[in-house]
Amino acid sequence: MNKKARLSLACGVVVGATSILAACGSDDSNPASSGSPSPSAAPSSTASAKPADTTPLQLSIAITQVGDIPAKGNEVEQAIEKFTNTKLDIQWIPSAAYDEKINVMLASNEMPKLVKLNYVPNVFNAVQSGLFWEIGPLLKDYKNLSAQNPQFYENIKIEGKIYGVPLFRNMGRGAIVYRKDWMDNLKLPFPKTTEEWYNVLKALTLNDPDQNGKNDTYGIVLHKKYNQGQASMLTRFAVAQGGINKWAVDNEGNFTPEHDTPQMMEALNLFRRLYAEKLINQDFAVLDTTEAEKLMDTEKVGMRFAVATNGKSQQDRLSKVNPNAVIDVANFEGPQGIRISSENGNNGFLAIPKSAVKTEDELKRVLGFLDQLMSPEMSTLLLRGIEGKHYGKTADDRTEFIGDGFNLFQREVKPYRDNLTVLEGYNVKPLKDVPIGEKGTKMEADGIKYIVSNPALTLTSATYSERGAELDTLIWDAQTKYIMGKIDEAGYKAELEKWKKSGGDKIMAEYKESYQKFIKK
Amino acid sequence: MPYDKTWGNRIFDAFNITVLSVIALLCVLPFIYILAVSFTAPHIVAQGGFILYPKEFSLAAYKYIFSTNTLVRSLGVSIYVTVVGTLINLVLTSLLAYPLSRKTLRGRQLILMGVLFTMLFNGGLIPTYYVVKSLGMIDTLWSLMIPTAISAFNLIVLKNFFQNIPEGLEDSAKIDGCNDVGVLFRIVLPLSLPAIATFALFYAVDHWNKYFSAIMYINDNEKWPVQVLLREIVINANSRVGDTNIEEMNIQPLTIKMAVIVFATLPIMVVYPFLQKHFAKGVMLGSVKG
Repeated sequence: MNKKARLSLACGVVVGATSILAACGSDDSNPASSGSPSPSAAPSSTASAKPADTTPLQLSIAITQVGDIPAKGNEVEQAIEKFTNTKLDIQWIPSAAYDEKINVMLASNEMPKLVKLNYVPNVFNAVQSGLFWEIGPLLKDYKNLSAQNPQFYENIKIEGKIYGVPLFRNMGRGAIVYRKDWMDNLKLPFPKTTEEWYNVLKALTLNDPDQNGKNDTYGIVLHKKYNQGQASMLTRFAVAQGGINKWAVDNEGNFTPEHDTPQMMEALNLFRRLYAEKLINQDFAVLDTTEAEKLMDTEKVGMRFAVATNGKSQQDRLSKVNPNAVIDVANFEGPQGIRISSENGNNGFLAIPKSAVKTEDELKRVLGFLDQLMSPEMSTLLLRGIEGKHYGKTADDRTEFIGDGFNLFQREVKPYRDNLTVLEGYNVKPLKDVPIGEKGTKMEADGIKYIVSNPALTLTSATYSERGAELDTLIWDAQTKYIMGKIDEAGYKAELEKWKKSGGDKIMAEYKESYQKFIKK
Repeated sequence: MPYDKTWGNRIFDAFNITVLSVIALLCVLPFIYILAVSFTAPHIVAQGGFILYPKEFSLAAYKYIFSTNTLVRSLGVSIYVTVVGTLINLVLTSLLAYPLSRKTLRGRQLILMGVLFTMLFNGGLIPTYYVVKSLGMIDTLWSLMIPTAISAFNLIVLKNFFQNIPEGLEDSAKIDGCNDVGVLFRIVLPLSLPAIATFALFYAVDHWNKYFSAIMYINDNEKWPVQVLLREIVINANSRVGDTNIEEMNIQPLTIKMAVIVFATLPIMVVYPFLQKHFAKGVMLGSVKG
């Protein structure tokens, strides 16, 4: 082997070896699913000696990035630090990859003292392996945290225990946004019963509510996700008519799915009839959600199922097109009064990892911080901003955004508001707004009185985690076919039987087991 | 191309021109649309419809995105990572590809197997994260450049390219007193410019589009490349079906989305013409007298 060859050999080996090492870090491929993290005792944070109560609490927080990232040490952050006697170190994680990032943090046990978790299966595993403090028994010592509706905490329970403080969101937000001017033109009262709904939607379609002499409107349009998720139009409609929100449970723990209830059948029959008479859009099975919402902006549709605060933004968009358009918001009300299918009531929850917060004392301080955030001063800061900069007080003891305050608020305060424990309407003066805006805000805060909760929300079902999507799709497709008249009632019932056989029965049994284990003590 | 202008020929030509123009338009129109929307006043865009030129010229979207230095800073990060990262890529890739292309290197099959192995199997997210972490690269820009310093696929292509360079060239260089390093840098690389330019482009685009690894390895938002912000602004990552609460969705107006897209894609598109001239063929003609 001559000298030259030796040189290139050495060169090749060194570079080759490094490249093999480096190439392991493959490109940005799909995130692999993380293995279940093991609670190792590797402390990543500096365990401080027991702090006296006057030293600021060093608090590292991992939360979702919302819009722009606030500059470090901005006014809002300083105000929070000063009031709560903490030193904040906030890590903003882009929402697009939030869960993956959290998985990596969980697996590598690099946890901050407070971390926002989403209510997803991966998080359940981490919680079950004991990575986080259970805070349920401690909550009663905190004035503001314990003042919230227990349902908020119910909805983030994992195996019947509370592991964090929810980022509160109003649960009874569902409402109907509709064209009041069109309804006035038609001289129709707002519908309650299914029959009234049919008449109103028919009139909004055929009786030229916009009085432009053309038959170019629909009462309501469905879109391809009309029956999916929290905002399922069918669920919202059926609940208003006295139905159930996804699931109902009796005293024995026997579960009934919503698609097997008379109210759901009623809703399906209404839309089937509307479809057959061409009173709703015929392309709903393929229509995009955003496209459907735009139809209201271009004065093609009279109503949509949304949330109460959508009224204001809908009015804003419509006013640009037609200054005379009037939007109003109505509750979901049926023969039994107002009934709103409850939403989850949180946008994730803030949990406290044991690896970062080692002592009960520190745990209590962190919880105290969250409790302080709900105090009048902090609630006002997070929901309204800084006085004189974002908002001002009105003569009748309310608050209003001043000048460009609202836009500044969206940039400077919203990132904190969306990620910390505050709730609109709690410990904060009402906001002066246009009437439709005030109405929406009030409806969302009051909605909690009328909510119908989903009893299976926090129950576990192995079959559902594994094949839920497939089973849901089976039902969704059957409902779509039924509305489009491709199958009759017998056909729909046959699909329900199929659902039961392919796993529905199992899900009900697993929910029952889970229910008896964790809820019915 | 002299040929008889018969009607058949003309129709054939017209047909070709039409079809090719349509295809070309399909490629260009989205870009024109994005550009046009980003310069249009928001209320015009709100009315919907397809926009090919700004009916009402407005710089509002650009004013908004430049009102903080976040985007500009992240663009700086992206440019730095792209330039430095691509240099690292090219140096390391050619340093490994060249020895592997020489038959005189013992054990090259083994090394090549090692390289191929990484193409087929990777450690997965968490182990990779641990490697990056234990090398102390978390929260540094190195984490975006070092783990992807050599792409196994590009390496093999480049190695094959080097193998096609006639050995006679090297022999003559060695006779003239050139050592291995000299041969690589003075003979082989200059002859391989088309390939190098191609890989430079591949690598640069890869770096420019760095997104996921940035989120994984970089906690400090001041070191985020532009794609992270772009995605955050353009895609409402609120995946909960049908949660139609505008407040929570943080919807950015279309004009701002488009402005950010323009801002984040233009630099890398500008690079292309400068590399394109190197794609020319035929550099080796006449270098070896057969």
